[in-house]
Amino acid sequence: MNFLRLGLWLLGRERASGEWRVLLLALVIGVGSVATTGFLGDRLQRAMRDEGARFLGADLLVTSPRPVESWPDNPLATAHAVEFASMISRGDAFQLATLRAVDDAWPLRGTVRIAPRAFAPGTPGRALPPPGSVYVDPQLLPLLDAQVGDTVRIGEAAFRIAGVVVEEPGQLGGVFGLAPRVFLRGDELDRTQVLLPGSRITYLYQFAGAPPALDAFTRALKTRLDDTQRTIGSREGVETLRGAFRNMDAYLQLTALISLLLSVAAIAIAARRHALRHYDQAALLRCFGATTAQLRVLYAVQLFTLGLLGSLGGAALGALVQQALGGLILPDTLARLPALGWKPVAVAVASGLLALAGAALPALMRLIRVPPLRVLRRDLPPLPLSAWLGAAISGAALLILVVAYARDLKLVSVFVGALAALALVLALLARLALVAGRGMRTVSRGPLRFGLAQLLRHRFDSTLQLGAFTLALFLLGLLALVRTDLIESWRTQLPPDAPNHFLVNIAPHQQDAVAAWLADHHLQASALYPMVRGRLIEKNGQPIADTLPPEDRGDNSLRRELNLTWTASLPANNAVTAGRWHGDRRVAAPARGTPSGAPLLRSDPSAELSVESGMAERLHLALGDTLGFRIGDQTVAARITSIRNVKWDSMQPNFFVIFAPGMLDGLPASGIASVRVPSGPGSPMSGFVKAFPGITVLALDKLIADIEAVFARILAAIQLLLGFLLAAGLAVVVATLLASLDARRQEAVLLRTLGARRAWLAQGLMSEFVVLGLLSGVLASVCAEIAMALIAHRLFDLSPQLHPWLWLVLPPLGALLVGASGWLTTRHIVRVPPMQSLRALG
Amino acid sequence: MTPPDSARFPASIVQARALSQRVPTADGLLAILSDVALDVKAGETLAITGASGSGKSTLLGLLAGLDIASAGEVHLFGERLDTLDEDARARLRAGRVGFVFQSFQLLPALTALENVLMPLELAGRDDARARAAHWLERVGLAARARHTPRQLSGGEQQRVAIARAFATDPEIVFADEPTGNLDADTGARIVDLLFELNASAHTTLVLVTHDATLAARCQRRLHLVAGRVQDTVSA
Ligand SMILES: Nc1ncnc2c1ncn2[C@@H]1O[C@H](COP(=O)(O)OP(=O)(O)OP(=O)(O)O)[C@@H](O)[C@H]1O
Ligand SMILES: [Mg+2]
Repeated sequence: MNFLRLGLWLLGRERASGEWRVLLLALVIGVGSVATTGFLGDRLQRAMRDEGARFLGADLLVTSPRPVESWPDNPLATAHAVEFASMISRGDAFQLATLRAVDDAWPLRGTVRIAPRAFAPGTPGRALPPPGSVYVDPQLLPLLDAQVGDTVRIGEAAFRIAGVVVEEPGQLGGVFGLAPRVFLRGDELDRTQVLLPGSRITYLYQFAGAPPALDAFTRALKTRLDDTQRTIGSREGVETLRGAFRNMDAYLQLTALISLLLSVAAIAIAARRHALRHYDQAALLRCFGATTAQLRVLYAVQLFTLGLLGSLGGAALGALVQQALGGLILPDTLARLPALGWKPVAVAVASGLLALAGAALPALMRLIRVPPLRVLRRDLPPLPLSAWLGAAISGAALLILVVAYARDLKLVSVFVGALAALALVLALLARLALVAGRGMRTVSRGPLRFGLAQLLRHRFDSTLQLGAFTLALFLLGLLALVRTDLIESWRTQLPPDAPNHFLVNIAPHQQDAVAAWLADHHLQASALYPMVRGRLIEKNGQPIADTLPPEDRGDNSLRRELNLTWTASLPANNAVTAGRWHGDRRVAAPARGTPSGAPLLRSDPSAELSVESGMAERLHLALGDTLGFRIGDQTVAARITSIRNVKWDSMQPNFFVIFAPGMLDGLPASGIASVRVPSGPGSPMSGFVKAFPGITVLALDKLIADIEAVFARILAAIQLLLGFLLAAGLAVVVATLLASLDARRQEAVLLRTLGARRAWLAQGLMSEFVVLGLLSGVLASVCAEIAMALIAHRLFDLSPQLHPWLWLVLPPLGALLVGASGWLTTRHIVRVPPMQSLRALG
Repeated sequence: MTPPDSARFPASIVQARALSQRVPTADGLLAILSDVALDVKAGETLAITGASGSGKSTLLGLLAGLDIASAGEVHLFGERLDTLDEDARARLRAGRVGFVFQSFQLLPALTALENVLMPLELAGRDDARARAAHWLERVGLAARARHTPRQLSGGEQQRVAIARAFATDPEIVFADEPTGNLDADTGARIVDLLFELNASAHTTLVLVTHDATLAARCQRRLHLVAGRVQDTVSA
């Protein structure tokens, strides 16, 4: 006989029996939630990349001091611009400006907003002005005493000002200190005749396209570029978004893992029940002459078919739900994203099969080992499968899943460690709780006493159920905690009065006037930081590149000038992680210049500086290293005495390198500060621009609004994912209850036969579930607090804290959840008349 | 043992020699069967009788190769069972051994017809469906072919089980208390059916019972007391 066919035939016949239904349901929910998180996570990540690209203006930006003649073959969209500094004049007024000559595709991603006057909202569009005209930075208007519509000169050509640029991509990311921007047409560049051989020109190339093509292109490019050329990916577009990306990645990984584990728990319980209920069938088949190998084929084909059906169903569910959710969360980006490919479907199906194998194989392997003698002695259990083997199978399958989904090894190890600890703690706590229950039983009465007795009688079952409920509640609680903490951490990162304008290029003599002006207008400003630009060239006297492994030599912080500052007080949003903040330990500023005019080396063994931790890691910098910077024609060296964590998304002026006061004093520095300007019409900043024509004002309110929108979307997605996890948790609850249904039915029938009233029986059952739910709620709270403390510490760099509301919510939730689903699953056994039940028992 | 000119005598289907079964318990080894010997020829009917707990089911399980004795030998279809592993014994049984149980042991998800079909499919018979229908008709349940066990009475379920036992044309049928779960009237009718089918199919029948009247209908009776053969009676 073809056991494949027989297996399918039996499976088909049992379809209606409901045995497989639980398993299938658990699988559909499990794979559905995993698929949804997977699909949605994938889409969210792509949407995030999209946002990054919008901020950068492209998926990839290449800057070069020379025209790039040839590119690796690519199917990408391109845009091109030439950037240089030049004078712009109107009548007697002259001003240095940064000119950008663009083609009609610039920018490829995001938009440029052009307005008829400064601080007006403007309309989105391309950067290319109409022929014969330019778009200018609003700062230029007061400097040139011009209005939109006036004519300005650039070199030999005259242009009409067609509008002001109120917003453009790539406003952040090291533009401080640049002269105000002017956009002109690339095809009109020659008319100006300002570009002479030897002019300092930056050639900008934008690229946009599908991620795989981009990746391939970026790789091919890496080998061709030299030190003077830079690539900037969309992820690097805005440092402000980097923290958000990281947290969201970690969060989605965590969510996918948790839903996966819930479904695996549900499947394992359902599979155990299925195997238990098929011991007789397997024994009978053996009795009729089926061999172990044949039974293996028979049950394997059933398992595989179920796995395939459930996984496909789950994948379909996930695709549907994520499409709906995606439409809600990302209506604008969704249209631009490619449709779901087959790959995520295949991944979902594969994970479903793997989860099913891990959860169900040990039970099914026991099933195959049922002794045929069971047909005569019904109580005979299957030969015990080595507990280690079962654990190894499940463990291996789970580990593959966890590693595949989490990718991040740190996350995996934290998670697996926490789970192992959890299993131990759960077993212990469940035992303890049941012992406590025994005490309670002696003082309780009636149905409650019966319910407690039930819990204690099936001690193993109760421990299992308690463990499963607790796990479900724990994970839900943990998720809620992580979510709240995430929101909180973002809120504290970006308070409602976060600065939304940067003031750049404040001359030392202007400082007091600026502070007075801001105070007059009741505007809150950050500390003012002096800033000089310098390039990191040496570590401990050696060229910095020589101290790095080849793969790290291309780091962007080596390719460009860094903004250097000095201050005695540690800036807000900075935290020293190693060493000691230099504080006011100043060194005397050395005399300027040397008689011979040779480059001066400012070096003082006591000079100190502080480095940002990410940069320290990338460039292999440690406390005690001496760094040398080239600032203009001088070299400045100081020793690293502290390493700082910086919240890049804090909207404050942030610096990779901060010197102790004294070392840089006297160098030509300009000041930078951030200020909070209330939103709404009639911005006071137009007055500021008039009062301080030389100071550049960067308006970031639109950018902040964008970031907030991104976060609102992430949070919305997270809330919806929470709903999915709740469904997976309920699957666990129902599967566990179904697992004990047969035993319960028998007991109920017996009790009914012995004269127990229906109401009494119902109350007994209810009190059992409610107690179980309450207990698991308490245990879950304990576990969630512990895990949260670990996660907050390890992953999100937050300090642990207690969450009282957890203790108020989880136990009642447990009671409600377990009570309701317990009642729904078991209510019919109370209703069945004893006679009919006896027959059903067979 | 077997006469050299075995052609003149019916061959042995199942033989046991010095069969003992001891199981470890909390109070040391418990002897369930001690030194049992028997020889069942093709076409014979044998009743194993004895009080509850005397070891009848244990003996039946050993004879059918469902379990291995702690001492002694069992030969089924001429094969020495303790030299075969679990799977080899299963292959030996396939299609050649039928079973009837006290608690019927029908698969609840399958219809009456499908339950009869099961061992036929397992044995790989090609005319399985027709055979199953035929045997269901023989036990008088053709009209209930599509009913599941839950919709059948105990007697009807046992008749399905009997059809299932005979459907593969087995050489031997083992029955463990086939009337144990039935009332006297129904039990009697089941017994009639069992013997009638057995006679017409020339099957060997080994039947465990503590019902004296049922035992009396067998050609030979083997009485167990506390795991020992007390006496063997041939009709
Ligand atoms: N593996 C075992 N471990 C312990 N005790 C066993 C084992 N197998 C059988 N027994 C015991 O051996 C005795 C004989 O069991 P068996 O089932 O053969 O009796 P039986 O004659 O069929 O009884 P009944 O008429 O009640 O079915 C019983 O007391 C039984 O509990
Ligand atoms: Mg018995």
